[in-house]
Amino acid sequence: MIAIQTEDVDIGKMITAAKQRGTGAIVVFDGIVRDDDIREMELEAYEEVALPELEKIASDAKKTCNLLSVDIIHRIGCLAVGENILVIVVGAGHREQAYEGSRFIIEAIKAGVPIWKKELRKDGDRWVPGEHKHGCRAGK
Amino acid sequence: MTVRIRFFARFRELLGTDIVVDAQKNKGLSDLVKDVAGKNKEGYDAIFDEKGIFREYVILMQNGKRVETSDAPAIRVADGDEIAVFPPVAGG
Repeated sequence: MIAIQTEDVDIGKMITAAKQRGTGAIVVFDGIVRDDDIREMELEAYEEVALPELEKIASDAKKTCNLLSVDIIHRIGCLAVGENILVIVVGAGHREQAYEGSRFIIEAIKAGVPIWKKELRKDGDRWVPGEHKHGCRAGK
Repeated sequence: MTVRIRFFARFRELLGTDIVVDAQKNKGLSDLVKDVAGKNKEGYDAIFDEKGIFREYVILMQNGKRVETSDAPAIRVADGDEIAVFPPVAGG
């Protein structure tokens, strides 16, 4: 399943569902709201674009890393410290493929999927800065 | 013709979102965003530099497809277009 949602997920159920004939390894990435002296974190997405991009990343990862299954749940809305932000469950025949696939997916999400995080801090709110790989070409 | 402009994250806080604009035919994408962003100085300054050029970190989309900001002055918007303007992404 690939989804952007406010609700939390049952990671145990995701792992169970990912097991299939031929599965030899499952890698779970769970991105969590870290206690960086914040009260909460707000997540926002351009859902009409972000969801198809997540689906494409999953498809690319399957082909590139020879994965058997990919599930990605990215949460939006207001999350407390300790809550799940992003859960990626990757199934493969062998651990090398599963680790590689998981890394492929998280790096691709961070590089380009239109989702933003805002830290609601005790000393003032702050948008988490993204990487500046986009925008206009240098010098133009 | 009508064009929908959507700002996200910090730009949304400064300029709002889901703004429907009654644009002139052959309006340039860059000029369209300037017109809308010009209603709030802080929002305008977050997106454009002092020469009116998109800041390096700004990301533009036209109907869900990325557009180079340096190409935006020459791109014409069409009736029903959706333009998205946002800062670098930070998901995950």
